[in-house]
Amino acid sequence: MTTSPRLAALSVLVAVGAITAYVLLLRVAIIRNHPEGYVVAFAVAAALAALAVARARARRWPAWLALGLSVILLAAGAWFNFVAARIPDTATVLRVGEPPPDFTLPDAGGRAVTLADYRGKKPVVLVFYRGHW
Amino acid sequence: MAELQGLGAALSEAERAGVEIIGLSPDANEQSQKLADGLHLGYRFVADRDLAVTRRYGLVHAHGGADGQDVPRPATIVLDRDGVVRWFSVSSNFQIRPDPGDVLRAVRAL
Repeated sequence: MTTSPRLAALSVLVAVGAITAYVLLLRVAIIRNHPEGYVVAFAVAAALAALAVARARARRWPAWLALGLSVILLAAGAWFNFVAARIPDTATVLRVGEPPPDFTLPDAGGRAVTLADYRGKKPVVLVFYRGHW
Repeated sequence: MAELQGLGAALSEAERAGVEIIGLSPDANEQSQKLADGLHLGYRFVADRDLAVTRRYGLVHAHGGADGQDVPRPATIVLDRDGVVRWFSVSSNFQIRPDPGDVLRAVRAL
């Protein structure tokens, strides 16, 4: 039977490993597009820690520490993914088969870029984004 | 930004030359442009400082910023040579972006 301190250590490893992997692999589409993965990892860490607490005999604090850490991460992670990161639906004007609104905006060099100028010349991919994410 | 790099990596050199990728954000974008130029990605970054264009597209996430300011709702739109929308994806969770493979398929299907 796995001892309590080992289970506690494994729990911390799973929780910290999940955060590290998510941050480091944010550019990998399959990782970035499945943020619920870290929530699941935190739940696994909490289950391992709960098992550690149940098996703890003499030294109980590592198990309780692991349980506290994983439960906080689980709550924070679930809140972030399911509440904070949600974007309310907006009425976009985009329709497949129709042209989107034209625009003229300055590029990084200060030159004006007009969407309509590409018509008849080149396909265009528009990417609306914010900051680094 | 991260997804732009993914898309650039997925497209071949010839495809990159044949399609214009325009990144729109409220930021000034000098850094983004330098980064893209350094990677020879051939993107153009334009600044929609007051989100006027983003608003016209219906892509404003009201009070979605770190300080409660309005920010763009992440979106990727593929237009054909005639300027008609052929494919688009709009995020409902700011962590999630379209898979570069899906965008690539939409571009190749033009």
